[in-house]
Amino acid sequence: MSEVLLQQIERLAADAKTKSTQLHKGETMIEIEQSQLKNFITRLVNQIKIRHLSTITGLDLGQNIGIIYHFWRDRNTIHLKTFVPKTKPTTVSIVDIIPGAILYEMEIHDMLGVMFVGNPWMDKKLLLPDNWPDDLPPPLLKNVKPADIRKRLGLEVEKK
Amino acid sequence: MTEDKPPRKEESAGLMKYSAENLVPFGPIHPALKEPEYFKLVLEGEKIVEVIPRIGYVHRGLEKAAESRPWVQNMYMFERTCGICSFVHSLTYGQAVEGLTIYEIPRRAKFIRTIIAELERIHSHLLWVGLMGHWAGFETLFMWVWRDREVVLDLVEAISGNRIHKSMNAFCGVRRDMPEGMEDRIVERMKFLVDRANYYKGIVDTEETMLERTEDIGRVSAETAEKLCAVGPMARYVGLRRDIRLNDPYAAYDEVPFDVVTSKEGDVHALLKLRLDEMIVAANMVSYAVKHLPEGPIRIKIPPVIPAGEHSSHSEAPRGEIFYYVKSSGGRTPDRVKSRQPTMANLPTALEILKGQTIADVPVVLTAIDPCFGCMDRMSFLDIESNRQWTWSGEELRRYGINYYFPERMKMR
Repeated sequence: MSEVLLQQIERLAADAKTKSTQLHKGETMIEIEQSQLKNFITRLVNQIKIRHLSTITGLDLGQNIGIIYHFWRDRNTIHLKTFVPKTKPTTVSIVDIIPGAILYEMEIHDMLGVMFVGNPWMDKKLLLPDNWPDDLPPPLLKNVKPADIRKRLGLEVEKK
Repeated sequence: MTEDKPPRKEESAGLMKYSAENLVPFGPIHPALKEPEYFKLVLEGEKIVEVIPRIGYVHRGLEKAAESRPWVQNMYMFERTCGICSFVHSLTYGQAVEGLTIYEIPRRAKFIRTIIAELERIHSHLLWVGLMGHWAGFETLFMWVWRDREVVLDLVEAISGNRIHKSMNAFCGVRRDMPEGMEDRIVERMKFLVDRANYYKGIVDTEETMLERTEDIGRVSAETAEKLCAVGPMARYVGLRRDIRLNDPYAAYDEVPFDVVTSKEGDVHALLKLRLDEMIVAANMVSYAVKHLPEGPIRIKIPPVIPAGEHSSHSEAPRGEIFYYVKSSGGRTPDRVKSRQPTMANLPTALEILKGQTIADVPVVLTAIDPCFGCMDRMSFLDIESNRQWTWSGEELRRYGINYYFPERMKMR
């Protein structure tokens, strides 16, 4: 990671009352509060000109669900990590800053049940089947077993 | 059937005022579709005003499956994500995992990876150019291009033993060495492909059919494409220099010289020429890499347990940026693997391009990013006055059409 960029990122992180850690060569991980997220991404896009969002990853971390925003420019990758409690999985949408994030947010909504407030397509399904029961937990949570889902959807084939 | 009959043209003139929006569903299951995808098109007359995508019909839960499989097994599972650009998936997943270990990849392995990745790019672009000819109504191009595609597939088979799923990658290296005495054959075949690509460039520039179907169609501004996070050729055809091979070199891309092809025109015709140019660049890269292939080992064996940590990797697939994120807790299986394919990243851009196009251009525009489809055989109707919705099968639609235009013929039956 170039020195100038690293300093800029560190300054941004300090403003958001958090710290950046170097994961590997050229990779920075920043853990950030949910309330600071939108402000941070706005400054990342407008001031440092890191505009390309590769994707958003959702992680099941036991108590919390981790959401990582992966940005890159040239040889620098920035992972922005935020946490939402499993009891109330709601966070803000960044579609108004980065319109390309719309499908990634829908994917996490389908797979981990996180609600992104502000995403206009939150009521639609992207990946899950139409007949997915509402009371079934999102499939990518660690405690959900594929066999249970198959049984519930009537896809289990009896072994002879 | 008769009571379902909508009012005739003069009666419906007043109705049209209210029905500003018409829904046309495209997909998901259709003989002309390569993959099942569904697009809900909202129309105003012939013009598209809104597109709502619905994907996931072939979602196989690979990310969930990866959590219960050993690290090595996942590499060959992720290779089966795609039937065209299979190698680059295992390459990117491999790079993400290798980043967590302390081992260096041998230089010869890096070169072999580059050769295979570029051969795959030629294969994928040829396949795409052929399909583009097919959808534009120029079947001869389709036949010619797919014949030349066999040249690449034969080379890939000679090197790896397989045509599509090469299974060449291993952690920190490749599984098979380049066969002896292949150099001259590869260089000669690459020269042939460069000649062919130049010939096709001439065809798409002069042939009326291609020009009329592709010129001035599928325009988008560079700012919009950048905001919507477009990747690969979809970013380069509007002038963005976004290419992971150049921006963040992996494998041997920092040692093999190449040009990044960009275009300023920003229509489907420019995309055609851009992909043909990229093919020529790729063919020259393969020739260079084969001639300058370094000696040495091709692989380092690493233990099956990967140290704890998280790492991501991205690389330039034929369609654009592929992204993998892996998280390990130090066990024999990953904690989490995230994979993002280029079509997912390009879909918002494609939806934006479709807005304002006519319905006849939908196949060409959607093929431009790579998913594609043909026409429809099932329609959905909405009666504005009674707010009643119903659907017809293709057979019912045909009967209705005959009844509408030739009522006497129906009476005869």
